[in-house]
Amino acid sequence: MLSQQHSLVRRLATRIRLNATRMVAIQGFGYLGQALSSAEVFATLFGGAVLRPGRDRFVLSAGHYVIALYAAAAEVGLLDRAELAGYGRDGALLEAIGSERTPLVDMVCGSLGQGLSAAVGFALAAHLAGEQRATFAFLSDGELEEGQVWEAAMFASHQRQRMGRLVAIIDANNSQVDGPVSAVTTLEPMADKWRAFGWQALEVDGHDIAALTQALTCDFAGAPLALIARTSCVGRLRCLPATLDAHFLKLDEPLRAALEQELTRELQSADA
Amino acid sequence: MREPPYATVLKPYGEALTTLARTRRDILCLGADLTRQTETDLFRDAIPERFFNAGMAEANMIGIAAGLARAGHVVFVNTFGVFCTRRCFDQIAMAVAYPRLNVRLVGFMPGLSSPGGPSHQAIDDVALMRALPNMLVLEPADALEIRQAVVALADHIGPAYMRLKRGESPLIFEEAHRLQLDRAQHLTGHGKSDACLIAAGMMLPAALAAARTLQREGLGVAVLNVPVIKPLDVDTILAAAREARVIVTAENHSIIGGLGSAVAETLAGAGLGVPLRRVGIADVFAESGSREYLFSRYGLDTQAIVRTAWEALGRAGPVPRAISMPAAPGTYAPV
Repeated sequence: MLSQQHSLVRRLATRIRLNATRMVAIQGFGYLGQALSSAEVFATLFGGAVLRPGRDRFVLSAGHYVIALYAAAAEVGLLDRAELAGYGRDGALLEAIGSERTPLVDMVCGSLGQGLSAAVGFALAAHLAGEQRATFAFLSDGELEEGQVWEAAMFASHQRQRMGRLVAIIDANNSQVDGPVSAVTTLEPMADKWRAFGWQALEVDGHDIAALTQALTCDFAGAPLALIARTSCVGRLRCLPATLDAHFLKLDEPLRAALEQELTRELQSADA
Repeated sequence: MREPPYATVLKPYGEALTTLARTRRDILCLGADLTRQTETDLFRDAIPERFFNAGMAEANMIGIAAGLARAGHVVFVNTFGVFCTRRCFDQIAMAVAYPRLNVRLVGFMPGLSSPGGPSHQAIDDVALMRALPNMLVLEPADALEIRQAVVALADHIGPAYMRLKRGESPLIFEEAHRLQLDRAQHLTGHGKSDACLIAAGMMLPAALAAARTLQREGLGVAVLNVPVIKPLDVDTILAAAREARVIVTAENHSIIGGLGSAVAETLAGAGLGVPLRRVGIADVFAESGSREYLFSRYGLDTQAIVRTAWEALGRAGPVPRAISMPAAPGTYAPV
């Protein structure tokens, strides 16, 4: 039963990658790497009965990942699939970087490092209202370079009794504009940093559905949870070189065709 | 209006907010390690469950306020004006102004009212907040306006920035005075005037004293109080400007981007060729010092307004001396 659920989420992750590839293909460039690295996280959140839409709060701190949110939302009936074709186009509903027009999220931040603070505000509001809501904030590893993230981490830990179920999910894909995060600055040891700030920290393979599901549904109390999802911008796809810098990917026709083929095959074998 | 030197009220903001919050349960109060200095010790002591100290972390405080506001609260965020705006500008722009949330940023110690030197002197806060879409910018002139502003802000839809003098606030207006979030007030000198003085906040008492000084010389002087710098009450300002030979704005702020700039844009946009002079901080960083010293040294005193109007009118003879107004302890008079 559990494995059946996991295979549905696994299929959703592949659909997210395929949708994102097609969305980016229209203009030939975009934030595809973000969708490839975070597909399992978004699939688990939205397809694994982890996040309860309309009840739990979801803050997308790294607004460039909104492509993955759109791609997931269209699959689970929260967004009209036809809207996907407009991604990043002039006048379309779905902007390339998340904005106030972005559906489905409580707060979306294109200016990085700001989302965890808003999530803390939502968590505090739920506490004040006596509401049983979980608060999820999606962050990228690169934005941990912003000091505000650590201000928020410090505050949340200090107010731990008032944070309810607060989870920061960090997509640690080791990619930022200027190259690998590790070449720009030293974030490691990432989990220890969160622990030192009074959080519980878990590190999982961010492409492992079972591990993500277990971490996101674990029974934790006493301190907010930082879930570090170790991922790759090429999302383990064989047709992409492991060294590809996919932060802002130019998708030429041969690459698009190869991605389409590999992802379609993955879906077919899942259905078989 | 009352007569100077004005009686003063201690902590009118903190009292008004605490009183209102007792019945308005949606009001929350956030601070950044300046609780007593922002008069919110009153709130903290009365309603501790709705007071949160973010510590010295303004950027995070703005984000938390945004989350709380989006969840339905009216959030008053309190710190010094300089830290409230300059330090967390992007956070305010993206997390508060853009989503049009009910966050009220309250910045104390405007302009050169801070003795702390450039690090503590908010000389560009109005310019910064005025540039943000959706943001209301407010600078009450006295304790009565502060009390009324708190009530008005609690009901206002959208974000607002209010700059407030710290400590004792003068009582300039009579009880019947009404602050409205879309109105300037033409206080004195109706009809044709030689000079129209347009002032906000701490510069209103100086403008009133300057008007009296100039009137004694036989000049017709109008005084406008502009507690709401954005949205600017263009109609009231243009109506007074059309009757005046010269306009002098007075603000405890850089002359770039604040009230003077807003009036200049209004006059130019309406095609009025009336000469405009801006009294304010002349595009410089100031220094540490007492209010009296700094206001005199940087041209924010009554005498500066008198001199500016006098010269703009091309009057012959020496500039009249501003009426001196010694203030007894517990009272307030302009420098």
